Amino acid sequence: MGEEKEKKKRVLIVEDAAYMREMLQEMLHQEERSYEVVGFAVNGKEAVEKYKELKPDIVTMDLVMEEMDGIQAIREIKRYDPNALIIAITALGMSEYKDAALAAGADEYLWKPFTINNLFEAFERLLRKRGRGSEGNE
Amino acid sequence: MKIERLNYRFLLLLSTVLACTILAFFVGFIREETIVYTHFFYIPILLAGVWYRRKAVYIALLLSSVYILVTLFSPQAALSVHIFERSAIFVAVAYVIGFVSEERAKGEEKLKETKEKIKEERDKLNLILESMDDGVCIISKDYKVEFMNKVLIDVFGYHVGDICYKAFHNRDEPCPGCKNTEVVKGKTVRWEWHSRRTNRTYDLFETPLKNIDGSISKLTIFRDISEQKRIEDNLRDAEERYRVIFEHALTALCVIEHGKFVSLANKEFETLSGYSREEIKGKKWIDFIADEDMDRVQNYCEERRKGEAPACCEFKFVSRNGEIKHVNAWIEPIPGADSCIASLLDMTELKRKEEELRETCKRLAELDKMKSDFLNVAYHELRSPLAPIVGYASMLERCELPDKGKRYLYNIEQSARQLEKLINRMLELARIDGKKIELSLEWVRIPEVVSEVVKSLEPEAKEKRQKISMSVPDIEVQADKQKLIAILSNLVSNAIKYTPEEGKIDINVEDRGEDICACVADTGIGIPEEHLPKIFERFYMVDTSLTRKSGSLGLGLSIVKEYVKLHGGIVWARSEVGKGSEFFFTIPKRRKAIKKGA
Repeated sequence: MGEEKEKKKRVLIVEDAAYMREMLQEMLHQEERSYEVVGFAVNGKEAVEKYKELKPDIVTMDLVMEEMDGIQAIREIKRYDPNALIIAITALGMSEYKDAALAAGADEYLWKPFTINNLFEAFERLLRKRGRGSEGNE
Repeated sequence: MKIERLNYRFLLLLSTVLACTILAFFVGFIREETIVYTHFFYIPILLAGVWYRRKAVYIALLLSSVYILVTLFSPQAALSVHIFERSAIFVAVAYVIGFVSEERAKGEEKLKETKEKIKEERDKLNLILESMDDGVCIISKDYKVEFMNKVLIDVFGYHVGDICYKAFHNRDEPCPGCKNTEVVKGKTVRWEWHSRRTNRTYDLFETPLKNIDGSISKLTIFRDISEQKRIEDNLRDAEERYRVIFEHALTALCVIEHGKFVSLANKEFETLSGYSREEIKGKKWIDFIADEDMDRVQNYCEERRKGEAPACCEFKFVSRNGEIKHVNAWIEPIPGADSCIASLLDMTELKRKEEELRETCKRLAELDKMKSDFLNVAYHELRSPLAPIVGYASMLERCELPDKGKRYLYNIEQSARQLEKLINRMLELARIDGKKIELSLEWVRIPEVVSEVVKSLEPEAKEKRQKISMSVPDIEVQADKQKLIAILSNLVSNAIKYTPEEGKIDINVEDRGEDICACVADTGIGIPEEHLPKIFERFYMVDTSLTRKSGSLGLGLSIVKEYVKLHGGIVWARSEVGKGSEFFFTIPKRRKAIKKGA
């Protein structure tokens, strides 16, 4: 792929369910040349802290979590770094949640359950969007 | 003597005087006698005495002088004491007769005068009696009618001289209510009598009347009070009618005097207040009003009396045991009196029910929210475990697997997709219930929708070697494309599900001008008639036995119905068991603004 030369994208996985964290890591491992999991967070608060600490390229954000929910975390992260790339991943069905997540600043939205292909398609959409965005900026 | 006195008496007297004079001259001069003729002279003197009383003396003097003259000039006779003696007797007799007849005449005149006076009085009395409006009669103590005035005669006929009970009442003996005996004994009575003959009511005034002979009769005055009686009766009837209405009204009613005291109350007021009627009477009106409402109600009453306030006012009513009741009061001034009538409607029960209803509504809303919340959470919690199933399965696809493994994987994926679909439907229904669905309308080409649905379901049909045919005109409707696809795919997948292998499924869309009518027909097992009206109901399943076709929650058709309804269309079905079913739905071509969200 064309992105081979590029630096690996550093991914922060925010998920409260351990099996989901593991699966996402496994999936990303399949494309280890492009993506690298740099850390995990189990709730929104930890996510914001980890983001500040690790400065990842992409954040996968669950919406339903203890302490601080995903939407709040998206808002916090975007406030800290407006250029952060965040993909909201949730099993919540209602489009209101999607709208809320996008309004908070999420760049992509992925419904559970998803296949590995769904995930990478979403990632690519995300990066393409950013690519266009940064081209415009530079 | 005046000329009018020249009547036959005077002429008779004059002629007897003349006859006596001529006779005296004739006897004295021709027969030359003086003894006999003096006897004739008594006749005119007597007549004059009777008729002209003392004036008879003049006749006596005249005749004596004729007698003396005849005697003086007569050739035979000569004047003597005897002759003068007779003359003096003439005058004396004339005087005595004159005096006596004068005294008698005086007595007679007096009698006549008295009689006239009496007559006058009687006439006057009669006039009064006749011109009176009241009837008057006099009845003797032995029940004989002695007098009736005109009024009475006009009414009862002339019965003077008859026996009163026979004449007036057609009875053979005195009436039981007759007061004759009492009155004759000297008592004055007044009583009311209703005459059946005239159908009128009289006020009778009966008093003793002393007759000239000392006996006592009964004077009765009849006053006709029928009209007055009728008015009184009407008044009493009206009063009674209003009393019954007042008494039996289902509203508590009371009359308030001078804005202060309750003077009258009905049964319902007794029930409302808990006081008996005797206790209520005279009680202060404000005693029935709760302290906090006192001023407000007083003001209201005052304004109401001026006619300014609205007719109804609500306040708290205090009953005997201190219980507070919510009442609606109407206070209406009584015209022409310083009092008003208050009607009170007990709203306590109504208020309580209203409160209960409000509470129930609140609880239902809470329950509804709980249900919605639960469904949302359930949805999330059911989908979450699906994520690793689908996720890992998709990863497995990338691995080298034996054919057997690939088949297993395919089955896992299919089941996971099926499960996802069921969960989605559940959520969809929850959202329809919560009215959270809005259509995103666009112009949709029907052939596009149909082919999309057929394409997605064809694999299933192929598996059962079913043939799907369609006849779809190229039309556009204003609709929500995704919902339209959901409607059609629900119907088609049902058709596939319930049609045996090698069956036929036919999709037919008809352009009806204002709207389109779509039909999905199959040659499946059909739906028993008794189930037809219910198949669109939520969770309804024709077959709930263990032998039923699996993979259904009974939600598909209810979603179809809701979506069609949202579009402003209708849905119905026709079926024959063993032959197949037909499902119809309509979608208006253009969405009417008013129906939006209906």
